[in-house]
Amino acid sequence: MFDILGSSIQTCDSKPSRVDRRNFLRVGGLAVGGLTLPNLLRGEAMAKEAGTSAKRKSVILVWQAGGPSHIDMYDLKPTAPAEYRGEFKPIPTNVPGIEIGEHLPLQATMFDKFSVVRSAFHTNAGHGMGSQWMLTGYQPTIEVNDNIYPSCGSVVAALRGPNEPGMPAYCNVPNRLDLGKAAYLGASYNPFSPDSNPNDNGFQVRNMKLPGNLNVNRLERRQQLLGQVDTIRRDIDTKGDIVGLDKFYRDAFEMVTNEKALRAFDIHKEDPRLREKYGRNDLGQSCLLARRLVESGVTYVTVQAGGGWDTHGNNFAELKNRLLPAFDRAVAALVDDIYVRGLQDEVLVMAMGEFGRTPRINPQAGRDHWPGAMSVLFAGGGLQMGQAIGTTDSKAEYPTSKPYTPGCVLSTMYHTLGIDHHHVFYDQGRRPLPVLNEGQPIAELIG
Amino acid sequence: MNSRFATIGFLVFTALVASSQAAELRVEPARVEFTDAFARRQLLVSVDGRDATRKATYQSRNPEIVSVDPSGYLVPHANGLVEIEVKIGGQSTVVPVQVTGFENIRTVDFATEIEPLLSRFGCNSGGCHGKARGQNGFKLSLFGFDTEFDYQSLVSEGRGRRVMVSAPDKSLLLLKGAGLVPHGGGRRLEPGTEPYRLIHSWIQAGAPASAPNVPHVVKLRMIPGERVMEANEQQQIAVMAEYSDGSRRDVTREAQYSTNLDVVAVVSDDGLVTANEPTGEAAIMTRYMGQVAICRILRPQGAPLASLPNFKPRNFIDQLAAEKWKKLGLKPSNGCDDPTFLRRATIDLCGRLPTVDEARAFLTDSGTDKRDRAIERLLASPDYPAYFALKWGSILRNSNLAGADRASYAFHNWLKDMVARNRPYDEFVRGIVAASGEWADAPAINWFWQSRDDQLHQVTADTAQVFLGLRLQCAKCHHHPYERFTQDDYYGLAGFYTRLGRKSFGEPPPYFTSPNVTIGERHPVTGKQIEPKYLDGAVATFTPEEDPRHALVDWMAKPENPFFSKTMVNRLWGHFYGRGLVHEVDDLRETNPASNPELLDALAKEFRDHKFDVKHMIRLMVQSQTYQLASEPTDENRKDQQNFARFFARRLPAEVAHDAVEQATGFKTNFSNMSADSRAIDLPHERFGSYFLDTFDRPKRVSGCECERSTSATLSQVLLLANSDELEGKLQNGNARIAKMFEAKRTTPQIVEELYLATFSRFPTPAELSTATGYIDRDAEPRKAVEDLLWTLLNSREFLFNH
Repeated sequence: MFDILGSSIQTCDSKPSRVDRRNFLRVGGLAVGGLTLPNLLRGEAMAKEAGTSAKRKSVILVWQAGGPSHIDMYDLKPTAPAEYRGEFKPIPTNVPGIEIGEHLPLQATMFDKFSVVRSAFHTNAGHGMGSQWMLTGYQPTIEVNDNIYPSCGSVVAALRGPNEPGMPAYCNVPNRLDLGKAAYLGASYNPFSPDSNPNDNGFQVRNMKLPGNLNVNRLERRQQLLGQVDTIRRDIDTKGDIVGLDKFYRDAFEMVTNEKALRAFDIHKEDPRLREKYGRNDLGQSCLLARRLVESGVTYVTVQAGGGWDTHGNNFAELKNRLLPAFDRAVAALVDDIYVRGLQDEVLVMAMGEFGRTPRINPQAGRDHWPGAMSVLFAGGGLQMGQAIGTTDSKAEYPTSKPYTPGCVLSTMYHTLGIDHHHVFYDQGRRPLPVLNEGQPIAELIG
Repeated sequence: MNSRFATIGFLVFTALVASSQAAELRVEPARVEFTDAFARRQLLVSVDGRDATRKATYQSRNPEIVSVDPSGYLVPHANGLVEIEVKIGGQSTVVPVQVTGFENIRTVDFATEIEPLLSRFGCNSGGCHGKARGQNGFKLSLFGFDTEFDYQSLVSEGRGRRVMVSAPDKSLLLLKGAGLVPHGGGRRLEPGTEPYRLIHSWIQAGAPASAPNVPHVVKLRMIPGERVMEANEQQQIAVMAEYSDGSRRDVTREAQYSTNLDVVAVVSDDGLVTANEPTGEAAIMTRYMGQVAICRILRPQGAPLASLPNFKPRNFIDQLAAEKWKKLGLKPSNGCDDPTFLRRATIDLCGRLPTVDEARAFLTDSGTDKRDRAIERLLASPDYPAYFALKWGSILRNSNLAGADRASYAFHNWLKDMVARNRPYDEFVRGIVAASGEWADAPAINWFWQSRDDQLHQVTADTAQVFLGLRLQCAKCHHHPYERFTQDDYYGLAGFYTRLGRKSFGEPPPYFTSPNVTIGERHPVTGKQIEPKYLDGAVATFTPEEDPRHALVDWMAKPENPFFSKTMVNRLWGHFYGRGLVHEVDDLRETNPASNPELLDALAKEFRDHKFDVKHMIRLMVQSQTYQLASEPTDENRKDQQNFARFFARRLPAEVAHDAVEQATGFKTNFSNMSADSRAIDLPHERFGSYFLDTFDRPKRVSGCECERSTSATLSQVLLLANSDELEGKLQNGNARIAKMFEAKRTTPQIVEELYLATFSRFPTPAELSTATGYIDRDAEPRKAVEDLLWTLLNSREFLFNH
């Protein structure tokens, strides 16, 4: 761990983070990259030090891969020239003075439970690089389809762990996200994913249900036999993987045999009317599953809001007929559900993609990639709701007030979880990398 | 000689005060000469070889000529001769100091004196003004790689307020730096200190740009370079800088310090090292004007050992490893037993488990040379080239993307063939770096093709990392902060690829070396065409007929090349011993020292002396006693993680784990478009769908870094092994091992023995045999009980780990 900037890591907008490092070293972590179990232990220790108030906090990120059209959803410009404004009309919400797109009617009726940041932006218009930037807080220098920097869910898993033992800390539903991985934090913080669609009637998590020929009795007998057979010493490796595996075996047995995890993933237990309310489609049921998971002790869930947001052609028909109805219904139902259950201070819901879309409409009636301005939706998490934050210019091309970077968006999320975004990790090249290298929580949201 | 850079402090003389009773007091240097007002000197005092610099007291007989502070740091104030008295524990000595040329007023040089301060105070770091868009409109080059840019930024931009010659104290550089006006970076610079005064006098003198040909630092030296320390012991360090004009200066107070392992040793801003309780090794790094140096601090486990009675060296690897253990007081673990050796060597050489028959034959062989015979048998088998082709294919990005399906098979086969024929390593590298032609004739061109979107930079970075052990990517944009390599070095290496051309047809298209430069990109600072330059400095020129890529390989393979041979032996070491002598295996920068430099040097020399014979090196390693140690730690070596006094166990790589499960269960998956007997280690590229391989993190082949392959544990891996239909199916399959054993009407003890041999490559102990037979025979469904037993063996750490 080369400490290149002197005796501690400092950036202009950060405090030194020696204490974190010492904590880390005290539990005997290794110097480089793959920080496995010790990191988790440290996360638990940090949570303890932070007090129990943040203990149950969790995040659901609805990830709109491809880039949702901000100018057609939350930042309409009815007075812009026709080649910009498009065919959608704004409608009023239940918050005086805030209007959103006409194809988000359910959210409009309850916008006091949402806040939208209209002035988020960055500068990279590539899917891979933009996604990595929004999901990690770091702009990668090369276009790759794998994480160079750890996704925020992995960071949360490393620093906080799950809210309930026996549950995974970080899940992707329904499938693993390409850029949702742990990079130099080590594979242990990669997301757990059901690898199966919760909208399917036969939905079940991959390898969590007992295999057909096996019953709990036999699994327990195997477990006992394993205790007798697996006697090799636990200190023969140097990275703590054996101890880490022992922990995963305990977690796995608990998940498989304990009602809790099975119940969390068992979406069939939901009232059919509620399932209907979320929408009987991939997105709706994934949002419902995400709510079940955070209720059961998962700390961070990324919901894949399906493909298709990359509307280079036929933007309006795609949005109107396919994308927005499902999105509006699922997110409205999710946020409503969270309020009904009194979880609005514990669960943060966010919706965003890697960038916005070109305000100027292209010849295929589509909109192209546009990182210059984008809208990010927030709900719950104990944040200030009922706001439209920041403004863009008359064509929704660039922020005109409150320009917020990816680091601002993500640090707001870390803030709700009680995570210090100046905490420093080290990559394989031993470069010190703070959780975020820029950005401060959005003041209007954290109040 | 430029008078501003005087030679000071001759090190050859050492004051020595000794008597028969008293401890030995040494002061270094014994006398000092200062030839300008800016020279400084850190004295180093030791008693009986232990540092006492901070314990001694110092007195200048005339502080108006030379003053000395409590840490033994000398500053001249006027011409003259003075004695400094050094006292400790009733002993004393004097150090004469001669000051001449004090009146030689010099201008402060921007490049060599102001720029280092911007680095030292973190102004140009990546979090502050060094980041791409600067900070609050003030931008500096990252870590000060572009002196000209920084000078303009300070002197010409910011409406002239950053540097005000008429009123230096009103310069924003000083006001902000000292926190006298609000500064996001806080207070960095104390008024009245030497750095403040230096900047002040530079501004006062008109803030001049650097004169051309100002001597620059060519080398740093830390004194001492290595120390064995006790807990809480301190060691003052002195840093000497050598300049291009041959002069030397003490830069102890100007240089920056850091430690790579602060649990073992920490270092203060003025070079005082303090060793901590935990044992191990730390590298103290110092950095000044783009040069770096290290001092190794050893905190031994115990008292040094005179001999290692239970350790019988087989070859020079063992001798050199043992030298280090003795120094550190590390007792090696016992040698591993036969089944462990066979399993370990078969996994590491062939990427598979021993078969039941192989294990049985080896374990019942009573020959004393059976381990050596096993090594030769494994090295001669087709599994050795298969496994190493997989390893190379991963870091050489062999993928079937962009139409390269057939090319990826061809490249894989080429790698396998080169390994099988044990072609010399330089020839192997030439076949890749200088590959030309159509893919069918030169399949290694897929290495270039898979980098097609950013070919020049990706290939340059991979060449450095894969073959030279240098991670030069950082130097593309800025001076590498941990290395001496500059942006010019990076672009010099890139220059060997600027005549690489490819045709506009075919996937991959044919590659060739063009007589002309094929790329439009220019050097980002100079704006000139990118020219080839060897990493150790020499500019290369080529005729249009010559292929620069061949010249690059010629340079790599020269005996005096400091990177090539070392990188490969370190990579092999990492493969067999679980961790490189330098860690990570492809990060051989100067500031990342080998845990055993003598051993690494000896291996590199052996490799060169044997004409880059890879099998010879592997044989030496696998035959060594060091490789054949048990993985169980002793109390003495438990904490050590880098000196190989025991074998470091590790999880099986994804492909090996996959094949091991199939070999043990006797159930074989078929991969599409591969022959029926192809295993996961035989796959030519990464795009064969497999939940197992993905879950165990096979590399995506998008990086030249071995670190892309992760062997850390995940919950999904555990669920897959412990609770999946996939595994249950393999246990129960009617053509798999268990079914066949029942068909053959084996007795329970025979079944147990075979399952232990198939998974752990050993016979069960009597206790294990009785536990397992009892478990099976008590069950009303013995076949299910056997499945339970095999499940249990597969889910044991003894199975999943190479130990």
